[in-house]
Amino acid sequence: MGRPDLNRRQLLGGLGGLLVAGSFGFAALGTGADALAAGAQTRVRYWNLFSGGDGYNMIAMLDSFREENPGIDVKDSTLQWGSPFYTKLAMAAAGNRAPDLGVMHLGRVTGFAPGRLLDPWDVELLAKYGVREADFNPVLWKRAVIDGKLYALPLDIHVQLCFYRKDVLKKAGLLGDDGRIVPVTSTDEWFDVLKEAKKATKKGLQTLGLHANDQNFMWWFFVAFYTQLGGTFFNAADTEVTFDTDKAVQVLQFLRRHVTDGYSTAGAADGEQFINGAPFTWEGNWSVPVFSGAKLDYGATPLPPVFGRQATHAESHSFVLPHQSDRGGATNEGAHRLAAYVVKHARQWAAGGHIPAYTPTLSTAAYKKLSPQNEYVSAMDHQATEPKVWFAGSTGILAQRVGPVVVSASMGSAKPESAARRMKSTLAQLLAMKNPMDGHTAAQGGALA
Amino acid sequence: MTTSAQTVRAPARARTAAAGATVRRKQGFQHGGWFVAPFLALFALFVIWPLLRGLYLSLTDANISGDAAHFIGLDNYREALNDPLMWDSLGHSAYFTLLVVPCITVLAFLLAMLAHHIERAKWLWRLCFFAPFLLPSTVTGNLWQWLFNPGTGMVNHVFGIETPWLTDKSYAMLAVVICTLWWTVGFSFLLYLAALQGIPAHLYEAAKLDGANAWHRMVHITLPMLRNITGLVVALQILASLQVFDQAVVMMDFGPGPEDSTRTFVQYTLEQGFTSYRVGYASAISIIFFVIIAAVALARMWLLRNREEGGR
Repeated sequence: MGRPDLNRRQLLGGLGGLLVAGSFGFAALGTGADALAAGAQTRVRYWNLFSGGDGYNMIAMLDSFREENPGIDVKDSTLQWGSPFYTKLAMAAAGNRAPDLGVMHLGRVTGFAPGRLLDPWDVELLAKYGVREADFNPVLWKRAVIDGKLYALPLDIHVQLCFYRKDVLKKAGLLGDDGRIVPVTSTDEWFDVLKEAKKATKKGLQTLGLHANDQNFMWWFFVAFYTQLGGTFFNAADTEVTFDTDKAVQVLQFLRRHVTDGYSTAGAADGEQFINGAPFTWEGNWSVPVFSGAKLDYGATPLPPVFGRQATHAESHSFVLPHQSDRGGATNEGAHRLAAYVVKHARQWAAGGHIPAYTPTLSTAAYKKLSPQNEYVSAMDHQATEPKVWFAGSTGILAQRVGPVVVSASMGSAKPESAARRMKSTLAQLLAMKNPMDGHTAAQGGALA
Repeated sequence: MTTSAQTVRAPARARTAAAGATVRRKQGFQHGGWFVAPFLALFALFVIWPLLRGLYLSLTDANISGDAAHFIGLDNYREALNDPLMWDSLGHSAYFTLLVVPCITVLAFLLAMLAHHIERAKWLWRLCFFAPFLLPSTVTGNLWQWLFNPGTGMVNHVFGIETPWLTDKSYAMLAVVICTLWWTVGFSFLLYLAALQGIPAHLYEAAKLDGANAWHRMVHITLPMLRNITGLVVALQILASLQVFDQAVVMMDFGPGPEDSTRTFVQYTLEQGFTSYRVGYASAISIIFFVIIAAVALARMWLLRNREEGGR
C-alpha cells in the first residue's frame, strides 16, 4: 500500500537475508561465549544446582577463586535442583559432553554408575591442593569411597534441625542458663516441653512445625529417629532386609502423636508460623539464613535425642568428576584445584547453614562465632544417613517410594503397624531391583571400572 | 453421518469413469503429494519413528545414558503387568476420567444453554465461559494451588471450611478435577453452543404450534439434535482426560500428590524414564498406555457405527 515498489520477491529476498545475517549473529555469540577469559590458559566447566542464598554464596566463592587463579577460567552453570539435574548430568556424561566438575548429593553417587558416568578423584592431586582424608569426618569420607576409590569430594553436610524461638521458650521456662533449650532425652520429656511451650504460644499458632504431610521431611525425620533406636535397613552385604518393624512403629507413633495431641497442624505453613511466633519448627539447616534474615531470637539444635541417642538425618553436597573419555591434563587439574579451593574456603558456605565437611574450618574462631551454627555443629558426629545403595540419596527412588508410606502414618490414613509392614515390603522390592545404569542389584553393587 | 454417505457413493462414481479417473487421480497425487510432503516428513520424523523406536526400546533394558541396551524380550511387559505402582497410576488416571467426563459434559451443555438463551451481553457470557481455556496449564495449576491453599485460599474462605485440598489424599484428586473443570469446560461449551445455533428454528416453532412446552422442546428436539456432538464431546474428553498430567503435577509441586494419590499414568511413565532412568521400561508402559487409549478410541468408533446402522 504505502510501498508499491516492494514486490514479493524483494520481500522474500530481504527476509532470507535477515535470516542469514541473524544466524551469523548467533554464531558470533556462540564463539564469544566459548572464548577464554583474558589471560586464562585453562577453562573449567562447572555444573551446580545451587540457587537462592546458596547460589549467592557459591558464586562469591567462585569469584574469589577466579581472583586468586587468573590462569583458570571457571565457566559455571546453575541448573534446576532435583531429579532433572541428575538426568541432565547422566545424559551429558553418557554423550561425552560432561562438564569438568559437577555437584551431586553424596547419597546419589552409589547409584550414578561410578566408574562409568563418574570418574574417580586423584587423591594425590587433591592433597597437592591441600585437601586430605584426615581433614574429614571418617564416616563421611567412607561414604564417598566405592571399591577403594574416591568418587565424591564432600563440600558440606546438611541436616534437619530443631529450631526454637528463644523469646517464647523463655516465657515457658524452657531455656537453660546458657540461653539454650533445656536438654531432652526421652519422648516423655519432649512432649512435656511441647506442653509447656504450647501454653506460652500465641493463639492461632501451632507448637511445632513438623511437615507432617511432606514426604521428604517425614522420611528424613524417620531416618533420624529410627537411627536413634539403632535400627538398620539392610545387612552389610545388602542381601537381606534387616528393617525392624517394631522400631519403625515406635517412630511412626512418635511422629503421629504430634498431630493427634494437637502440637502440629498438617499442611500449615511451618516456616511462616515460626517467624510469626510458633515456638518450634523442624527444618533443614538451609532455613538458617531465612530465620536470621527475619531477625528472630532463635536457636537450633540437632533433632532431640528422644530415643536415648543423638542422631539427625544428614545428606551432603559433594563435588564429582562426570565421566569424560579424555579426562586429564590441565583442565582436570583445574577441576581438582577449584574443588579443593571451595572445600577449603567453606566459611562463606557455612553462612547458608550447611556444616562444612572440611573439619579444619569448624575449629576456626570465625566459624565458632557463627550462631546458631555453633550450636548444631555436633551433628557432624551423629549423622543418620540412608543406606549406601544405588536407589538411595536425596529425592532418590528410596525416598520416593517409602516417603509416602511414612506420610500415610503421620497423617493417620494408615496405622503405624501396617505402614511399617509396607515399608519393609517396599525395601525388599527395592533390594531385588536392578540398577538401570548397570543391571546390578544393590548386593552386586560396586563401581564399574 | 455425511462421511459414510460419501464413501458409499464414491465407488459408484469411480466405476462410471474409470479410465479418466486414473489419470486424473495420478496427476492429483503428484500435485497434492508435494503439498502433503512436508507434513508427512514431520509426521514420520516425530510420530512414526518415535513410535517404532519406542516399540523397540520396550523390548530392551535401555537406560537413559544410552549405552548398549540388551534385548530382553517381553520382560518389561511382564514386569509392568505385575507392577502395583503402574496399576495405581492407571487407576488414578481412570478415576480422574470417570469424574471429569460426565461433569464436563453436563456442565458444558448447561452453560451452552444458558449462553444461547440469554438475551443480554451474549458476548460477555461466551467470553467468561471460554476464557479459562486460553490459559496455559502451568498458570492454571498455580492459580488453583493458591485458591486451594488451606490457610489463605479463597475456596476455604468462601465456604467457611478447613478442607486440606492439596495435602489429603481423599481431596487431592478432587481438587485437580475441579481445576480441570474450570479450565477446560470452555472447549466443550463452544462445541455445544455451535451445535445449538445449528438447530433450525422452525423445528421449535412447529413444536410450539403443536403445544409442546419448554421441557418437551428440550427433551424431544434439543437433546436428540445434539446427540452427535455429545458423542464427540464425550470421546474427546475421555481421550484428553486419560492423558491428564500437567495441571496435576503443577498443583502438587511436581510430586505425586499426598500419599501418591495424584500420580497419573503419564507422570509414572515420565518418572520411570527420566528420574529412574529406565527408558526401556518406560517405553513398555507407554506402549501399554497407547494400546489402552487406542482401544478406547476404537470401541467408541465401533459403538458409533453400530448405533448408526441400527438407526438406519
